[in-house]
This record gives sequence, C-alpha cells and structure tokens, in this order.
Amino acid sequence: MNTKIWTYFTVGIFLFLGIVFLNISFGSVKIPFSETLTALTGGDLSHESWEYIILEYRLPKALTAILAGSGLALSGLLMQTLFRNPLAGPYVLGLSSGASLGVAILLMGGIWFGAFLGDDLFSKWALVLAASLGSLLVLFAVLAASLRLRDTMAILIIGLMFASLTGAVVSVLSYFSPAANLQRYIFWSFGSLGNLSWIEVGILGLFWILGIGIAIFCIKNLNALLLGERYAKSLGVSIKANRIWVIVATSLLAGSITAFAGPIAFVGLAVPHLVRQVIPSNNHLILVPSVLLAGAILMLLCDTISQMPGNAYIIPINAITSIFGAPIVIWLLMRKKKLIF
Amino acid sequence: MKKIIFLFLTLGFFSCQDHQKELAAVLAHGDTLNVEYANGFEIVEYEGFKLVTVKDPWPQAEKSFTYLLAEKDAEIPEAVEYDEKIQIPVEKIVVTSTTHIPSLETLGVEKTLKGFPSLGYISSSKTRDLIDAGKIQELGTNQNINTELLLEIQPDVVVGFSVNGNNKAYDLVRKNGIPVVFNSDWTEQNPLGKAEWIKFFGALYNKLPEATAAFEKVEKAYLEAKKLAKSTAEKPRVLAGAMYRDQWFLPYGNSWQGHFIEDAGGEYVYGKTTGNGSIALSFEKVFQDGKDADIWIAPGNFTSYSQLLKSSEHYRKFKAFQNKQIYNYAGVVGRTGGVLYYEFAPNRPDLVLKDLIKIFHPELLPNYSLAFFKSLD
Repeated sequence: MNTKIWTYFTVGIFLFLGIVFLNISFGSVKIPFSETLTALTGGDLSHESWEYIILEYRLPKALTAILAGSGLALSGLLMQTLFRNPLAGPYVLGLSSGASLGVAILLMGGIWFGAFLGDDLFSKWALVLAASLGSLLVLFAVLAASLRLRDTMAILIIGLMFASLTGAVVSVLSYFSPAANLQRYIFWSFGSLGNLSWIEVGILGLFWILGIGIAIFCIKNLNALLLGERYAKSLGVSIKANRIWVIVATSLLAGSITAFAGPIAFVGLAVPHLVRQVIPSNNHLILVPSVLLAGAILMLLCDTISQMPGNAYIIPINAITSIFGAPIVIWLLMRKKKLIF
Repeated sequence: MKKIIFLFLTLGFFSCQDHQKELAAVLAHGDTLNVEYANGFEIVEYEGFKLVTVKDPWPQAEKSFTYLLAEKDAEIPEAVEYDEKIQIPVEKIVVTSTTHIPSLETLGVEKTLKGFPSLGYISSSKTRDLIDAGKIQELGTNQNINTELLLEIQPDVVVGFSVNGNNKAYDLVRKNGIPVVFNSDWTEQNPLGKAEWIKFFGALYNKLPEATAAFEKVEKAYLEAKKLAKSTAEKPRVLAGAMYRDQWFLPYGNSWQGHFIEDAGGEYVYGKTTGNGSIALSFEKVFQDGKDADIWIAPGNFTSYSQLLKSSEHYRKFKAFQNKQIYNYAGVVGRTGGVLYYEFAPNRPDLVLKDLIKIFHPELLPNYSLAFFKSLD
C-alpha cells in the first residue's frame, strides 16, 4: 500500500472519531460538550436525565449506526463484486423483502394468531425474530438455487423475483389490515437506529463480527473474481464455495441489521461507489476497510442530521440517507465523468 | 356585431342580477340553527327544506359543500344552489365511521342503517343486535368500499368522510345518483364541537329538536364536570402517547385531547404546543420533559406494563410507570373488539372528561367508575 492510501486512512479514522463524538453530543436535548465528555469518562453529571440520555440512548444509537453503516456498506461491496454489477446492493438477494414479509405477517397477519402471541405481539424480540425468519427463508431459497445454478447472474434475477413475490404478499396483508397495525408496519419500514438496548446492540455486534470475519476470509477470492469467473477458476478459486461464503456473509450482516434497525436503504449501494471514486483501487484488501469506515461515517452523519441539534422532531433515517446520499453520488459521478467499477 | 355582443352581455348581466335577487329573497327567510362549538358546519332551515353547509370537509379543503335537505313534495326555489340534494327524512342510510353510530342511536334511527364498512368495529349495542340479525350489509373497508354492494342497497344518502378529498369509490357512488355528504366531525378540536355534529344527523332525519336536546344534555354535563375540576388548585403533570420505534407520538396542546386534559384539571407536558395532527418527538426530548410527569394517558395500543417494557426498556425510567399511573382506552372494547373510546368519545365528551377527572383527582368523583379508560394491567 502506498503512502497516499495511508493518508486517506488516517484522515478517515480521525473523521470517524470526530463524528462519533459529534453524534453523541448532539440531539434534541441540548447537553454541553463538557457534560458529554464527563458522561463518557464515567463521571457524575449535573442532570441525572442527561446521563441516562447519553449512556442508554445516544451511545447505543451511535454504535448501532456504526454497525449498520459499515455492515450494509460491506454487504453492498460484496454483492457488487460477486455479481460484477454496479447496481447490486445488500438487498439484491431479497433479504429485506424476506424480513419485511416476516414483520408484515407478525404485525398485520397478527389478527389470526394474536391470541396465541398475546403480549409478545408488542415485543421488540418478536419483530427481530420475525424479520430474521423471513430473511432466513429467502436466504435458504437463494442458497438452494445457487447450488443448482451455474450462472451467478441468475441468482440476481431470483433474488429480484423473491422480492416481487414477498412484496405482493405484503400488499395483500396491508390491504386487509386495520390502520393501527398498518401504521406499526410502516414505521418499521422507515428504519430506525435509536431503539436498541445494550443487549440488542451486543447481539447485532456478534453477527457483525461473524459477517466481517467471513468477508475478510474471502478477500483474496474476491480480487480474483473481479477478473472474471473463468480467470478466478484458473487461479484455483472454487467459484461455488466462494459464492456461498459471500452470500452467507452478506446475509449475516444485512439480515441482522434489517432485523434490528429495519430496512435501511441506499447506504449499501452508494458507499462502495463513493469509496471507489475517492480511492481508485480494485484491491479488496484496501476496499473492504475503506468501505467499512466510510459506511460508518456516512451513517453517523445521517443519524446526526436526522436528530437535528435542538430540534425536537426526528426525520426517518431512511429519508436522510437517500436525500443526502444520492446527490453526493451524483456529484461524484459527474465530476469524474465516468463510473469507476 | 359589436352591438349584438353588447346586448347579450347586458341581458346576461341583468338576468344574473335577477337570479341573485331572487336567491337573496329566498334565503332571507331562513332560520339559522344555533351552532355554538362546532366550526365545521352550518344549518339553515326554510319552509320545507334545509341547507346544510360543511365548511371544511377535510383539512385544508379549498371548497365547502352545500347540501339541500328537502322534504317530500317541498317546493324548492330554482335559485337555490347546492352540491347534493337529499330527500328527508332519510329512510336508508350508509355511514362510514363508528363515530356516526352513537348519533344514530341517540336519535333512535339506527334501523335506517343499511350498510357499513368493517362491521366488526361497531360496539353500540342496538346496532350490534341489528348486525347479528343480518340487517346491516358489510361493505368492506373504508378506503376501498365495495361499490357494487353499496349500489345494491340504494341508500338515500351515504355519510362519508375524506382525509384529503380523494375517494374514487364516492365518485362512483355519486355518478349513480346516490348523494354522498361529508361529515368532518373528526377535524373539530373542541370536545363539545365534535359532539355537536349530532345536529348534522338531526337535520338528515328532520329531528333537529331531538338532536339539540341530546346535545344540550351532554353540554350541561360537560360544563358541570369542568367546573368541578376547576375547584381544585393542584394540577398533576400529564404525559401522553408512546413510541413507535424511536419516535414518540403525542397530541398537540391545542388538540381535542389537549383540551380534555386542560378541562379535567391536568397540566399537559406539551400543553403549549399548537398544530394539526400529532407531534413526533425524539425519545430524549420526551424523556427530559416527561420523566417526572405524575400521570400518563393513552400510550398507543399498549394495555399492560409488561407490553410497554417489551417494546422498550426506556419506559421503566418514567415516574408514572414506576408509580403505576398509566391509563389507556385501548383495552376497553365492545362485543367484537372495537375500542369503545373511538366510537363513543366524540359523542360523549362529558364521559371522557369525567374519566380524566377521576384519574387526575379521584377525590372529586368518588362514586364514578371509568367509562373508557382503564389502568394498565
């Protein structure tokens, strides 16, 4: 790696640390910087409620943003490389559609098994479980298909088909569902980072580490894949095994993030492009850490904007990621005049 | 040529003036019904007919609607302008909101109800009996009313409501000659204003005196309860709403719910806010402002403390949670699961107010038992 790359990383890490602090200090409730620092270093605060807000709300939210941003960005990169398609993102396999289906059946189909679920219908864990089951269902279907198929592109189409299929079931469910349940589903689909407790952040972190670990293990094969499947084969890469590992890593990352934070759009698709525009490299040894860092920074930034300092209102995170992310990608593409892929 | 155009213009002008004069002459004989609290409608009575104007059929509506309610064989002056003509008293009606049902029962005309979307939500007992006897047709859901079934009923009028003026099903019904009138009781912010809409139904059934009497009874009870609440100086701080994911939804201070809290002698945490719809605030903001509130009402659809906790551990930190001072209406339902509050509260603000007074100041109403609210399990 040359010195330029190292400079990028150093700047990136400082930017990351800065924005973590910014994210934790800013929110609807105004808390002075000094108090934020005291809370983070374990001191006593002048207001008891401030301590709770920082340690039990903002800190888990910032961690969720880091995990979700980096995880989704990496999933996007993996999918773009696997399919050699710049339009691919973490959800091309139909993971978010699967999760949506699970949640929709829980929230809106709940009329049929509401009595059986009782209080659990309100539980966050039920949502996480339903989303995970939905994602898993789609994942197994895609994996089964990928074992039989030779052409990687066909998996892309199958993923899209699953998305349409589940989308149709969700719309039938929403059509017959009472307003209150529909509302809960819509709010889930907006995505949110702020309602995870420490335990949930811990579980999400576990999945994150697993997913990232598998992805790192695949880096060498991914580089070979960029040159084409045949070339990769000649280098001794087992295309099928590699394909399955990449799909598993993406599913672990994108599936767990969707389960806990809802379907967060855009980041996964855009961040790899953003990174490639700034760091012109095809080496996954460089791309993977850059994408992780950039994803986390972008997500923290979006979350900070969505919780505008001093503003009591929150804008859904999904709206922010697209409203602020899309123009950046467009601007970068216009400036370079070509897509680096 | 120019002369001819001029001639036509003047003729047109004069005939227009004649028309205006005639209309003014007719309308001068009208008797405007006294509507004290509601802002959304106006009723003027004439010999043999009434003109009902719905001023804000939906929020930010650009036009109002005038409905001509004509008795059989009544002579309607040609100059009268209207959007729909309805023959009264109405004999077959279709309404679209459960809030319309108690008005029908109070006026004793529930038997004229022939169709309703989503029958399961109705809890009013007399109407429920009619449904069980198969006298009322299920019409699907309100957003997508089953037009064929509705046309088969051929009601004299459909009382609809619209959130934004777009409802294709209503257009189709109207094209088939069935008048659709908009009821915008739900946009009223004054508790008594919402209840006053019973007069709107009174006009449809030619039962204005009965409607007025029923309303005055509610009004009297409401004002008495309000006075009772004023007698106490101590005001508990009140929090409302709950979180969906990480956003907390609460009513504005100037909303219908906000008025109730104030009239019941409570101090609503966001009592000073004004706006339409509901406020969405971040958790940290509500935590800062509302963690020390004494009482917490209407937390979404939650009916028990364990449900609240399962949804978010943060709720544990609120004083009202720790002291078990959370009350909701979601758990008080009718025979088929419809929430009573949604159906009856607009018509019975006196009972809502007494419920809240009982919750805020139990000593003021020692023998009263709650009608809509219930302490969380």
